[in-house]
Amino acid sequence: MPPKRRARGATPKAHQSTLAFHGTSNRVTKPGARAQNAKKNLLSDTAPTDSKDVVADISPSDAADLTTADAAVVEQTKQEVVAQQVASTPEEDEARKISKKRIDDYWRAKERAREAPRVHQEDLSTHEKILREFDMSGQYGPCTGTARLKRWKRAQRLGLTPPIEVLAVLLKEQDGSNAIVVQRSHVDELLNSRSEALA
Amino acid sequence: MGVEDGNMLKGAPFEDPAYLPSRNPSLYNPLHTFELPKGAERHYQQQYADMYFLRLAELRNAVIKQAQEAWGDYQLGNEKARRVERVLDVRQGELCWVVGTVYMEMGLKPNVLDDIVKEHWIVAPPLRATYVSASGQDEMMLEDESGRLRVAGEALNTHYVTGCVLAALGTEQADGTFQVIATQYADLPEQPPRWGRDNATIAATHKQEPKREKSGKVAIVSGLEIMGTGDDDLSLDLFMEYLTGEAAGSPDQSKSRKISRLLIAGCSLSHSNPILSREDFAARKSGKKHYGYDASAYNPSPSERLDSFLAEILPSLPITILPGETDPANVALPQQPLHPALFPQSRQYANPPAQSNETREGLDSVTNPWDGDIEGWRVLATGGQTVSDLLKYVEDVAVLDAMEMMLRWRCVAPTAPDTLWCYPFQEDDPLLVRECPHIYIAGNQPSFEKKVITGPDDQKVLLLSVPKFKQSKSVVLLDMETLEVEIVDFDVVHPGT
Repeated sequence: MPPKRRARGATPKAHQSTLAFHGTSNRVTKPGARAQNAKKNLLSDTAPTDSKDVVADISPSDAADLTTADAAVVEQTKQEVVAQQVASTPEEDEARKISKKRIDDYWRAKERAREAPRVHQEDLSTHEKILREFDMSGQYGPCTGTARLKRWKRAQRLGLTPPIEVLAVLLKEQDGSNAIVVQRSHVDELLNSRSEALA
Repeated sequence: MGVEDGNMLKGAPFEDPAYLPSRNPSLYNPLHTFELPKGAERHYQQQYADMYFLRLAELRNAVIKQAQEAWGDYQLGNEKARRVERVLDVRQGELCWVVGTVYMEMGLKPNVLDDIVKEHWIVAPPLRATYVSASGQDEMMLEDESGRLRVAGEALNTHYVTGCVLAALGTEQADGTFQVIATQYADLPEQPPRWGRDNATIAATHKQEPKREKSGKVAIVSGLEIMGTGDDDLSLDLFMEYLTGEAAGSPDQSKSRKISRLLIAGCSLSHSNPILSREDFAARKSGKKHYGYDASAYNPSPSERLDSFLAEILPSLPITILPGETDPANVALPQQPLHPALFPQSRQYANPPAQSNETREGLDSVTNPWDGDIEGWRVLATGGQTVSDLLKYVEDVAVLDAMEMMLRWRCVAPTAPDTLWCYPFQEDDPLLVRECPHIYIAGNQPSFEKKVITGPDDQKVLLLSVPKFKQSKSVVLLDMETLEVEIVDFDVVHPGT
């Protein structure tokens, strides 16, 4: 007769203690010593880190990592892109005709309106500065939880006359490389993003 | 050949075949304003600030227009009143007016910050009858995108609640409070004419306007509160027999045959699944383990009773049913339609949701609040939660006055994100009244009342407060031709009393 098989789930508890190959009491390596192949990583780690803010790139490919807030803004942006490809609204047509010079003049007029220059914005592009100014304008509604393009369109629909130069900047950025990232306001990223702070 | 006094036992037997009264069809054109997108398209990541922003942005122009008409040439002493853009721009001693959203700071309101402070467990807040604190510590503030302004004044004795958009005329005082002399709200919006929508669609297709017959009546009931036990049976059966013409003789039959639609305004099932207190939940969890189907967890008899009630009436009368506070629908406004799975028999009279989102001739399960056209009149019906919540903010205000103010503020649910649970609308707030209804119904109120209010552009609205059927055993009949209201009481005579 074949040997009796053990009944499932009826394994007797092992009373014999096992050898432990890990754990603090069995450390082989001294804490200060480094392994040989870690030398290369060490050299690259001590390279000076960038002093600028590293903006976490929300690529739609790692959808599993996105928070619901990120995912919603990504989806809104995709819907906007699809809507644009279907039919372009008159505002968008007008916005596409706006020249870079007009955008720069708009921004210079805004800067002249303030008495003191803006600080901590030296390394931002003009486009990003215009978009941040648009985010911080409370009369167009809260900037979190919504894509910038959607917010502009909502303000337009409610008759609040948002500046057409902002729409021009948004459309220009959309044709660029970071189409998804630019739609999310910086404040929204700070509040809702899941990315860890890089040391 | 009918018998005049309804007593069919008197007199000779009939020779002619029985007279079969029939019902006219109901001309019904619902709107889908309050339906939310389904499934993954419904997002909750946005905040409620969007809702307040939408409300203010949409109503601001209307309020400014009204305020300019009222205070355009207002002078106090030598000073003219002028408008300031933002709430924080008011200056001390200057007579000005500003538009903002009201926020009532009340101690007894359920406060999420109190819940966070109680670290270990969150107790379901005890149901408060009113939020007004006895010591008079409640404050009123006017808010817009720039900030908040505390307001005070005698003109504010006409009550306001969180969420209504107002213009306030006054001046700022030394301590920063804005002393209000007068207020102004947006007032009733434009009212479409009777048959407005139907005529517009007909005109678009270049057909002729059809000749419309005299409209019938609509029976409105709320608070059936069916429990599935034997308690509801008698009056519910009487009501059903009245509607189908089985009860009483031909005078009542000829009255009831004029009814062309039944509108059930909420709370058809009583208390679907109460949230257990901590002790009950622990007891339930540690109790006996049931294998297979645990009958104590779900009792289908209330919805079966409701289903058979509806299925008896549906062959001859179309029904529109709204969910209410105690119905198995979502808690947050706008409550979505009751699922057809609850009505296995009645759903044969409804169009399947995959095919169409409305049913004109059978059972139409709709949202709460709901608006649509019945016999050409625009009707706005709610299950009553909006009105009851508003009444908790104020004292000694009649239900109809609250309903009138809600229409004049153009908000279906002014207290919505604050103390009434609500979906966070981001693009478009359907809880604003954009077209003035002809009839405004609130169900589940303590008593039956009606009133007609008029607006600045000759709008006329009939306000109806429908009582709970469970307590009052009465049904409201609204004549759609003359807009007259009558009430039908179902009484049960108890022997010996």
